[in-house]
Amino acid sequence: PLQSNSNDGDAIKVYVRVRPLTQGTGLTTDGDRSLCLAVTSEHTVRLNSKPEPRNFTYDHVADMDTSQESVFSFVAKNIVESCMNGYNGTIFAYGQTGSGKTFTMLGPNELTDFSDELRGVIPRSFEYLFFLISREVEKSAGAKSFLCKCSFIEIYNEQIFDLLDSASASLFLREDIKKGVFVEGAVEKYAASAAEAYQVLSMGWRNRRVASTSMNRESSRSHAVFTMTLESKEMGQGVVNIRTSQLNLVDLAGSERQRDTHAEGSRLKEASSINRSLMCLGQVIMALVDVSNGRSRHVCYRDSKLTFLLRDSLGGNAKTYIIANVHPGSKCFGETLSTLQFAQRAKLIKNKAMINEDTHGNVR
Amino acid sequence: MASTNSREWKAVCEKFRQAQDLSEIESRKDPENDPFRSKYKARELLKEIHCTVKNFEVDDRENEDRETDGQSGEHGDGEAINGGVHQVHAGDSRAGLRAAKLGVIEYYLGVNHIETEELSAGEEYLMTCLKLLDECTVTRENVSLLIQVRNQLGILWAGRDETETAQGFLEKAESIYTHYMKEDGQPPLDLVDFFVLEEDAPSQQERIRRFEMAYTHTLYYLAQVYKNMGQYERAGQYCHSTLQRQLKFSQFVPLEWAINAATLSQYYITKTRYMEARHCLAAANVIAGLAGEVPSEAAAKESEVEYEKREQLRQKRAEIARCWIKYCLNLLQDAKKLLEDNIGELDLDRQEELQRARRGEEEEKERGRKTAFLFDSTDTFDSICSQEEKVSCIFPLSFDEARAIFLVGQNYVTQAKEYFEMDGHVTDHIEILQDHSALFKVLAFFEEDLERRCKMHKRRVDMLEPICKDLNAQYYLLICRQLQFELAETFYEMMDLKLAVAEKQDQPDAHTIKKFNHLCSASIKYYQTFLDSIRSPEGKFPEKLEDDVLRPALVAKFRIARLQSKIITGNLATQLENLSLSLESYNFVVQYCENHPESKKSVETELELSEEMVSLLPIKINRIQGRIASSN
Repeated sequence: PLQSNSNDGDAIKVYVRVRPLTQGTGLTTDGDRSLCLAVTSEHTVRLNSKPEPRNFTYDHVADMDTSQESVFSFVAKNIVESCMNGYNGTIFAYGQTGSGKTFTMLGPNELTDFSDELRGVIPRSFEYLFFLISREVEKSAGAKSFLCKCSFIEIYNEQIFDLLDSASASLFLREDIKKGVFVEGAVEKYAASAAEAYQVLSMGWRNRRVASTSMNRESSRSHAVFTMTLESKEMGQGVVNIRTSQLNLVDLAGSERQRDTHAEGSRLKEASSINRSLMCLGQVIMALVDVSNGRSRHVCYRDSKLTFLLRDSLGGNAKTYIIANVHPGSKCFGETLSTLQFAQRAKLIKNKAMINEDTHGNVR
Repeated sequence: MASTNSREWKAVCEKFRQAQDLSEIESRKDPENDPFRSKYKARELLKEIHCTVKNFEVDDRENEDRETDGQSGEHGDGEAINGGVHQVHAGDSRAGLRAAKLGVIEYYLGVNHIETEELSAGEEYLMTCLKLLDECTVTRENVSLLIQVRNQLGILWAGRDETETAQGFLEKAESIYTHYMKEDGQPPLDLVDFFVLEEDAPSQQERIRRFEMAYTHTLYYLAQVYKNMGQYERAGQYCHSTLQRQLKFSQFVPLEWAINAATLSQYYITKTRYMEARHCLAAANVIAGLAGEVPSEAAAKESEVEYEKREQLRQKRAEIARCWIKYCLNLLQDAKKLLEDNIGELDLDRQEELQRARRGEEEEKERGRKTAFLFDSTDTFDSICSQEEKVSCIFPLSFDEARAIFLVGQNYVTQAKEYFEMDGHVTDHIEILQDHSALFKVLAFFEEDLERRCKMHKRRVDMLEPICKDLNAQYYLLICRQLQFELAETFYEMMDLKLAVAEKQDQPDAHTIKKFNHLCSASIKYYQTFLDSIRSPEGKFPEKLEDDVLRPALVAKFRIARLQSKIITGNLATQLENLSLSLESYNFVVQYCENHPESKKSVETELELSEEMVSLLPIKINRIQGRIASSN
């Protein structure tokens, strides 16, 4: 009954998942069994901050015992279904390094087959998608056919790399009037089954790790975006009806690395070395311009690559779920707080573009 | 003190040089897993230097005591600068020099600790530096250090969310600079001057450059501090001063500077300060020009470097063009606000009154032009002025004046579109078209001839309609809605104009009626498409409208209602049908507001009229029904 709270109009939904405490993994919490938060209902979590504990409310809060299957059915099922109906969908995983993002999205390391109970949201989405596809094809008795393409890119330092072609140079984002924002020149691989899609994913994922050692990049400093483009063709009375939709699965960089992009506090940008230009002056001015009184103005500083790429997911007509992963250990208090706050703000993320409508309301 | 050419001193200088190298050059190559290796090495060297300098101090202690007795109290203005703290040494006395020398090392140690994320230790060093110098008057030997140490402390405290403490340090740095330049103004020493051999010392010019740069940074940090404190006006001022100084001392990257200036113009626009906005934009044009020629397409194909450069230059110039478009647009729109009467038409009396007032101000205009905010680089000043001359910065009061600004804006539209092509830059391209349409819309306001006005709106339709058809709503829902609404409004406006023209004629001919009805139905169609875009995937209209579409949706319903009732027809049955549809839409507005009282305030006027129509229309409908019945 409480589920009906989350009405369909919301562009973005937030699912908070609390991971179990870890042992012997080298995380900061080793040995310390005390917790900084408690799941108080299926929508709320209480953070033991001082002096007053703070409560946060989300579309769903999953405690430490939540199964992978349950995460999938809550978050992804609906999104995969609407993808079949021609709508775009996006699932983000957000959280501090070590908070369980990869486990949630992918499953345990070195996962190889689909029988593993611990497999994550992505393999389960593949299975479900292809299950739905074959059911549709059967039902339509051949009148309907599907085509599924996968691409996998990584955004690091505001540059885009193709994980399916590790030899490629950095790529550019472009926009097309019909197909929206896309990465120009990104490799697209066809997948005819869940296993094939998973193969593409793991190939790219491996590239991501290789990259992290050979080029001194940490995987947690990059965003990885796996995109499935689903094209359905329906023949009927001599007319061919084509529909396309996209499913984006996004593993965001560790939240602790994102302080710069989500810079809030009052840290000053520094012009440390004498010859460097004052890069962030523009950001300061931009903030001034932003608080303007509704006048039309142009801001020259562009969105980050990630928000540009997923622009449609952030408040268009796409279905979007953010999975915020948190670690309950006391020592993670700071990061957990910032993740919970981010997740709450995420609900407010909307494309602010307004209708150009005269507001002074002259009625003639 | 050890003499400056002793072997011992040479060793100190060598160590210092090494520490600088390690900290500034070597450290960039440090591995990820040991990121501060060079910084730690530099720190050790600095500590050794610190020890040596301290030892010199012990040797010289006796001299120091004697000297300070004679010097105290002689430097009145120094005291003023240091805020009334009692000074013991002149900055250029032996004791003062020693303090500066030690201070420099404390400063570098402080910065070193901050860079290696040991903030508290860093703070301690910086505070020691400050304390050493607090006992000295401000002189050319220590003024640079005094400013830089406060810059660092400002950054440090801002990082701790203690904005006011940061502000204190930075404002002090600012006043030290101002006083020094007023009272003394001699080229100051640089921080490294104390620890380099004569042959390695920076040139006079370089010293000045570094000193002025440090102060530019002070202003730059203050701009950020004021922004963080919500003092936007001051922040804007400091951004402006920062840019101005960068230009004056040739400390800038042209493209970046140009973009910053162009962005600042947008701030001025929001404050209706068009003279300043224009100055920023003119300067942006000139400085962007310094970034060099755009490489040809052929060259870009040959090399990646040329490709990047071409891309950068074209993009930034297009961005600046877009800032100009906004300038022209806002200037026109603000003038319109000034001139319109209560139904949004040009108020002729008001126009004459303003024109008269302006003639009176004409002579004062030149005098009133403030020079304080000008970007006064001698090299570029003339070019900036000639850029400014191309467009006015005062409100246009007549069609000709408005047209001149419109044409400048339109010219920039063409420029911006060259880079932001539809293919590849859909959103940007459409935004530019929307501005172009808005330029036509506001120009039409100044046009008195109704037919010509109508033609201007037709231009808007011609540029927006094809895109609206092609744009994929799955990816561009919000833009689609904006276009649909704008098209609906434009047709609506044209309908109104045709109506006004028709009212002047005795009996509109069939052609005019046909045209009029076409405009009505086109407008209805787009309002309806807009309303349909709000429906759920299952085709259901939402019970409760989201905030961002609330007013547009209700206005759309209201306009549809009015349009339905305007359609001209000789057929009574059709007229009856149209009026029923009209009533239905008026009813929707009234019903919705009844069910959601909180929405009333966003559509006050429309609601009032809708309520009136809901009570009047049934009478009219009844009358027609009566006529139909009687004619049968």
